Amino acid sequence: MTVTARLAVVVVLQTLALFTMIAMKQWTLNTGTLVVLETQPIDPRSLFRGDYVRLNYRISELKPQELAGDNEFRRHDPLYLVLEPDDPYWRPVSVHRRKPTLAGDQVAIRGEVQYVNHRGRFDGATNEIEPIQVMQVRYGIESYFVPEGEGRVLERPQPGEVVSLRIAVDKAGNAGIKAVLVNGEARYTERLF
Amino acid sequence: MRHHKFLKLLRRELPVWVERGWVTPGGDSAILEHVAAQGSGVRFLAYAFSMLGVLLLGSGIITYFAANWALMPKIIKLVILFGGMWAAYGAAAYLLQRGDSPQLGQAILLLGVILFGANIMLIAQIYHIDSHYPDGVLSWSAGALLAAYLLRSQPAMIAALGLGVLWTGMETLGFDRVHWPFLILWLACLPMIYRMQWRASAHVALLALLVWSVFVFWPIEWLLPDVWLLYVMQWYMLAYGALFLLGLALDTYARVAFVGMTVQRYAAFAGLMSFYALTFPDFQTHTRDAGDPLTAGPEWFVAVAASLAWVVVLVAAGAWHRQRARTGKSPAYLAWGQALLGLIVVLLMVNLFLASEQGGLMAGLFNLLFFGGTVWLIYAGSRLGDRFLVNIGFVFFALGLLTRYFDTFWTLLNRSYFFMLGGLLLLVGGFFVERQRRRLTAGMAPPPGTQGVE
Repeated sequence: MTVTARLAVVVVLQTLALFTMIAMKQWTLNTGTLVVLETQPIDPRSLFRGDYVRLNYRISELKPQELAGDNEFRRHDPLYLVLEPDDPYWRPVSVHRRKPTLAGDQVAIRGEVQYVNHRGRFDGATNEIEPIQVMQVRYGIESYFVPEGEGRVLERPQPGEVVSLRIAVDKAGNAGIKAVLVNGEARYTERLF
Repeated sequence: MRHHKFLKLLRRELPVWVERGWVTPGGDSAILEHVAAQGSGVRFLAYAFSMLGVLLLGSGIITYFAANWALMPKIIKLVILFGGMWAAYGAAAYLLQRGDSPQLGQAILLLGVILFGANIMLIAQIYHIDSHYPDGVLSWSAGALLAAYLLRSQPAMIAALGLGVLWTGMETLGFDRVHWPFLILWLACLPMIYRMQWRASAHVALLALLVWSVFVFWPIEWLLPDVWLLYVMQWYMLAYGALFLLGLALDTYARVAFVGMTVQRYAAFAGLMSFYALTFPDFQTHTRDAGDPLTAGPEWFVAVAASLAWVVVLVAAGAWHRQRARTGKSPAYLAWGQALLGLIVVLLMVNLFLASEQGGLMAGLFNLLFFGGTVWLIYAGSRLGDRFLVNIGFVFFALGLLTRYFDTFWTLLNRSYFFMLGGLLLLVGGFFVERQRRRLTAGMAPPPGTQGVE
């Protein structure tokens, strides 16, 4: 095989790898069920870094004891969070170690436990402190790159503005950001080109 | 031998070889032209400038587009990213096919590999791909390895290994786990390094293995009880000892001799570092305070079994070298080395059965053998003609001496006496050690593989 032919193999395989990255993300965005997720109150010190927005969702912090499904998780464990539609945001129903069977309109989004905190919660009925597990979870939808300077709009919404995200969740549980919504209207929408 | 000296010798000798019929007439001038064209200094400079140029160009391109990114539509961004990478590979193909500028061709090929990595990061940015972040570096390393194999490119191989280290560092430090998959990538690099006899890549591969072994220590320190640190440090020492013996054995095979001395050097350095850690009385005592190993339960049996497994590996490597080197009377330095190694292994195994009260005594014994080991290394290095081994023997001898001086006298002496005595020790000891080192290394040739870059 000549040098040119061997180099062509390198170019083709590396290009295919890059196209696969794009194709997998587009597959999730095009075939996934669309869910709307609420973002957490924004901490200006951590939200905007450089020219990308760091997003924190209500479902980024989970208390397994308050949800159905499995209870004990450790750091870096994979998990599936089952969501069902509600108005205006989708809400978590149960959390599982393995992909669960879904009912009706439900979707399961795949995440990874970042860290686990053990806290105590006072139970007034028994006068005892009940141990609870609070975990921070990452779903791969926490970064959103915006044109330089425009992150400020999301970082410090005006009074009365609410930032939420439209997310596509595919059958395997992979998630991708479809649109950034301000007061329910799409401010940024993802397209292939 | 330096290139210009070799050329001078050839110019003097070739007419004689032609006269005696060993070289055909005309062949002498072809040989001289060939050797002169490979002038190591010129080659190295051309190589170094090409590589620096590529790195500057690569970082310039990436920062230029990063600064103007927001202004471009997605399709233009993609055209620039893919077009840049294809253009670099196209230029590399042209230069490598022509064959008259192989160094520049390899440098441009490396630019293609750099742009492939930049494309992974920038496409992840364009499409908001926020997955398990070390995977991006793994893909980059795999792309570099592919280029190294198919184009026989040593710079791409070094890039693949360097990115592999970055990958394992991210996996270990970011996710607190022992990262075994690195070994698969590392092993995948070896056949090509062996086939092409790449010295620089062999150095980087060994360095990568040692850095990985340090990364492995991190999660163990976080996740396991303190007493394991002592056992794990002992395994490290046995593993590096086995690697050193493997280096001696490799030296006996012509095909892999190019890497034998390199293996010995890195293994000697890493082995001495772990041995040095074991000489600290605090390390021997405090790690065991976490629990008496004799009552530690099944975990302790795991520690003993793993230690025995490493001893078996060490003995196997030693036996392999012994069998390969059996060409007459075994040199004295090897006999002393075997005796010393035997004592060290006994000490390491005995140490598994002792509680923290014996920590001080064991530290004393480890110190005795540590100093014995450095003296042996100096002796072996001088017999093998390896200046590096002699030098690190002296360095660790001096380091051990200074450390024990601090341990012993810091609390005993008035601070001013401590520093005055320490200063005198440094002056006299430094003079003595340097004189001995110079005397031993004076007659040795410069280490092979330091006269240019392939």
